[in-house]
Amino acid sequence: MPVIVTHGLKGGAGTTFIAAHIAMALSEAGADVTVLTTTQRDTMPLHFGLQPAMSLPSLFAPAEDAVLAAGIDLRSLTTAPEDNDFVPALRDLGFLETGQDKVMVIDVPASEFAFARRVVPHASANVCVINAAPDTLALMPQVLDEASPENIASTSFVINALDETRRLSRHSSAFIRELVGARLLGRVRLDESVPEAIAMLQPLGKYAPSSAALADVKMIGTALVPALETPGRPWVARGSNPAASSHSSSSPSRAA
Amino acid sequence: MRIDARNLLDRLGKNDFAYKEFEDRFSELELWPILEALLRDPRLQAIDQSEATVAAKPEPAPAEVVETYSGESLSSLFSRYGNGPAASIPADRRGGAQQQDVRAMLRHLSDLGSQGKI
Repeated sequence: MPVIVTHGLKGGAGTTFIAAHIAMALSEAGADVTVLTTTQRDTMPLHFGLQPAMSLPSLFAPAEDAVLAAGIDLRSLTTAPEDNDFVPALRDLGFLETGQDKVMVIDVPASEFAFARRVVPHASANVCVINAAPDTLALMPQVLDEASPENIASTSFVINALDETRRLSRHSSAFIRELVGARLLGRVRLDESVPEAIAMLQPLGKYAPSSAALADVKMIGTALVPALETPGRPWVARGSNPAASSHSSSSPSRAA
Repeated sequence: MRIDARNLLDRLGKNDFAYKEFEDRFSELELWPILEALLRDPRLQAIDQSEATVAAKPEPAPAEVVETYSGESLSSLFSRYGNGPAASIPADRRGGAQQQDVRAMLRHLSDLGSQGKI
């Protein structure tokens, strides 16, 4: 029962969006997926087309209280970052052990980096969501300095909301790609259809099936499928996939 | 998709469209001061050092992603500043033209730009 952690380098990177769509891709690949949000200011339901007033049930709430969207069990545990028994609780629930029938995607807020450091060693994959922006890049040395070599080694990266029409974004993206190499799972192009889908209270796949961001994030989710083969120990991306390239003649179209 | 975009695509007889492709290889990017500062920050090398940790771990299950990355490590980028930790790069690693100093290359590009040649 693998656990996949998504964590942003700084707030606003779009980690929740990436976490939601990783969950959808893994679910489409046949996994039984639970998404766990750990922040009190939670926008996860919006990425599933749910109402903004929706509050997710606790991880420990009974099955009849479950909120299911696209076959994914959406849960919340805002006390997790302060709870030292969170990892043992995950183990008690059957996660962190062998078997691929259940997968948990944990969305960790950027500010909860200490919590992320605690959970990542138990995760099959740690997805760090970053923006190709100079302020994000400026944080990289500090973050790498604070992280353990094991956690760095088990981290894969995703560039979100990449605006390829902007020179600095392209250069920043190239810098990140050179820095993290094969561990760049891919990039998600900036796409207005993402906030539009939220505004329409629809899942992105329904609102804009030809969305460039949707195609990109699906490729990232698919690239994570091999992580399900390594429950309880870190999976590391060892090769780039086509989404990691910021230009491709066969790149999906961008939604207008 | 917006209706005007949809109409445009209909007129073009296409279902979708893509932006212009942009070249963005590292060797071609402009070295913004913040990127230069980051390249000089030794803490960034932690990501290279972690590769040893990865190598020491048991090989995970074969990934479906294709091994296509052929970029050089960060340490070799440092070396192109003349006093980096990885001064000895295999001569045939990236080809002779890409062994040159980043600064010299950027100066060359800048000159070409000022001459209107690129």
